[in-house]
Amino acid sequence: MASEEFRDAAKAQGDALGFHARAYYVPHPIQDRSDEEMKALARDALPGILDMLRRNPARDNEL
Amino acid sequence: MSESVLLDPGSERDPAEREPHGLPVDLAGKTVGLLDISKPRGDVFLDEIARLLEAEGAAVARFKKPTFTRPAPTGLRQEIAEQCDLVLEGLAD
Amino acid sequence: MSEGNRYVVVTKKDCPTCQLIEPALEELAKQSTLKVFNQDGPDFPVLTGAEVVDDHELDGSWALNVEIVPTLVCYQGDQEVGRTEGWERAAWRQLTGFDSLGEALPEFRPGCGSLTRDPSIAPRLEARHGSGRLKARRLTLASLEDAIEVCYERGFSDGLPVVPPTPERVITMLSGTQRDPGEILGDVPPDLVPVSIEKVAINAVMAGCRPEYLPVVIAAVEAALDEPFCMHGLLATTYFSGPMVVVSGPLARRIGMNAGVNALGQGNRANATIGRALQLVIRNVGGGRPGGVDRATLGNPGKYTFCFAEDEDLAWTSLSEDRGFAREQTTVTLFAADGVQGIVDQKAREPEPLCRSFAAGLRVVSHPKMVQAPDAFLVVSPEHARVFHDAGWSKQQVTERLHELLLIDGSELVQGAGGMAEGLPAKLGGRRFRKFRKNGLTLVRAGGGAGMFSAIIGGWGASGEIGSSPVTKEVRS
Repeated sequence: MASEEFRDAAKAQGDALGFHARAYYVPHPIQDRSDEEMKALARDALPGILDMLRRNPARDNEL
Repeated sequence: MSESVLLDPGSERDPAEREPHGLPVDLAGKTVGLLDISKPRGDVFLDEIARLLEAEGAAVARFKKPTFTRPAPTGLRQEIAEQCDLVLEGLAD
Repeated sequence: MSEGNRYVVVTKKDCPTCQLIEPALEELAKQSTLKVFNQDGPDFPVLTGAEVVDDHELDGSWALNVEIVPTLVCYQGDQEVGRTEGWERAAWRQLTGFDSLGEALPEFRPGCGSLTRDPSIAPRLEARHGSGRLKARRLTLASLEDAIEVCYERGFSDGLPVVPPTPERVITMLSGTQRDPGEILGDVPPDLVPVSIEKVAINAVMAGCRPEYLPVVIAAVEAALDEPFCMHGLLATTYFSGPMVVVSGPLARRIGMNAGVNALGQGNRANATIGRALQLVIRNVGGGRPGGVDRATLGNPGKYTFCFAEDEDLAWTSLSEDRGFAREQTTVTLFAADGVQGIVDQKAREPEPLCRSFAAGLRVVSHPKMVQAPDAFLVVSPEHARVFHDAGWSKQQVTERLHELLLIDGSELVQGAGGMAEGLPAKLGGRRFRKFRKNGLTLVRAGGGAGMFSAIIGGWGASGEIGSSPVTKEVRS
C-alpha cells in the first residue's frame, strides 16, 4: 500500500527487482491527515485491499 | 579519438521476472502480516486495517521497521516469512 | 652459437642505443634467424638476411610486452627462453651464444622507453587488444550516431552532456589508481547492484574527471555505500537532500581542488566532476533516477554536484582530524545536504556575538520548530574564522557554544506556538530541546579571503540512526 504519488517509484523498483508485487494506492496526502481521516481512508481502501489479498475464482478464466 | 565503442556505465542487469505466490480464496484461518515502516500516520491507518481484516476472519500479525529510511532488517523479513501467509506493507507516502 | 634458437629484437629508430647496435643486429642476422620489430617506421634497421617488421601500430611490441628498446628475446621453438633490455654486451652474447657479438661496440648502453608505454598510446593499445582488465559490456554505436546523444538516449546523463566513456578513456582513468578494476566496493542502491572500480571509472570519465581524481571518487563511493550514510533512504526521500562531498587533506591541494574563492560554486574541474561522478554512479549503477525511486519534491542544485575542499588552517583542527584521522591523511566526508543558506555578520569582532548570529541562522534549518531532526554543516569563511582565531577559540569551543545557544524551550516548539500548526506535540512543551543532536553540527573552514559571510548547509530531516550520519573515508591510491 502506498499513496498515489508513489506509483512510479513502485514500478521503478519492481522493474529493477523483476518482481511486481500487488499494490493498492490510496489518495495522497497522508502526513497532514487527522486520525478520523486516516481511519476513513482505511475503510475506503478495504475492498481494494481484500481484492488484492484474495483470489476470486469467478475471475480465474479472465487470466 | 574514435567514439564508436562505449563501455556500459550501468548495472547490465536484466532481472528474471518472478511472480507473486498464488493467493487464497478466503482469508479465514490465514495470517496477514501488517508491516509498518515507521512513517508518521501509518500506525493509525494500519490499526484500522487490522480491525477490518480481523472482521473478515483473518489473523493479523503486526511488524514494524526500525526506520522508514532503510530496508527491513533480514531478521524481520525472516520473521514475517515464517509467521505469515500474506503481508501488507504500508510502503510510501 | 646456440643451435636452433631464433631471435626477436624490438627497436626504435629514435633511440640512440638502437642506432648504435645496428651493426650487431647485422652480425646476428648473418648467423641466425632474426626478426626485428621497429616501432617508428619501415626504414630502420637496414639489415640483410633478417625480417624487419614495420610495427608503427605497435601490435607486435604489445604482444611481446616490451618495456624498453632495444629488447632481445630468445626462443627455442615457440618457447621464450630469455630476454635482455638495452645493450649489455655480455648479456646479448650469453643469450645468443655468439662470443664475438658487438666487438666494436661499448660494453653497455641503456635503452629507451618502448612506445607501448607512452601514456598517450598505452590506453589505446590496451583498449584495442583487451588486456582482460575491462569487463563492462561494450556498446557499439552505428557510424552516424553521436556518442554524447547516445548517452542521453540511454539515460546515462544527469541532464548535462557527459564525456563518452570509450575503452581508451576508461583505461586512462584507471591509471589513477593502483587498485584492481575488478574490486567490488559494495552494493549501490536503490537496485543494490555491486559496483566495481571499473564502473566507478566509467562514470568518472562521463563526469569529466581526470585520472588523479579517481581515488577521491572511489572514497566518495565507499562513503556513500557505508551503512550509516543511508544512501538508499537519502535517494528515495521526498526531501531536498543529496550527498555533499568535503575533501580534507594534502591530496585536495595536489589535485587542484578549490577551497578558496567561490569554493561552493562553479568553475573548478575537480570540485565539479568529483561530486558529479558520485551522482552518476548512483544513477547508472544503482538505478537511482528522479521520477523513479528518487522522489524529491524539489531536490536542490547540489544534486548535480556538491563537492569542495577544506581550507585548512593550523589554528583549527582539520575535518580529517575531527573525524578521527590524521591531518596528513586525505579524507572524504559525505553529508546528506540541502542547499546553502547564507549567514551575514559584518559587525561582530568577538566570538560571542558571531556565535549568536550563527545560532540564529542555524535555528531555522528545516523549520524554526524542528529539533534533532536534521544535522547541519557550518562552512565558516576565513573572515569569520579570523574572529575566533584572534580570540584563541578552538573549533570545538565554537561548536559547544553554538549547541548551548541552540537549547530551545519546548513552549516555543509545540504545535500552534507562534501561530504555526507545525511543531511538537503539546505534551512536550515543558522540556528543553537541543536544536541538533550531539554530533549533528560540523564546522569546516572554506571560502575566499574577503566577505563576512558564512554558509549554513542544512541536512536531511532524518539524521543519525533514523536516517543518515556523516561518513568519512580515507582516500587510498
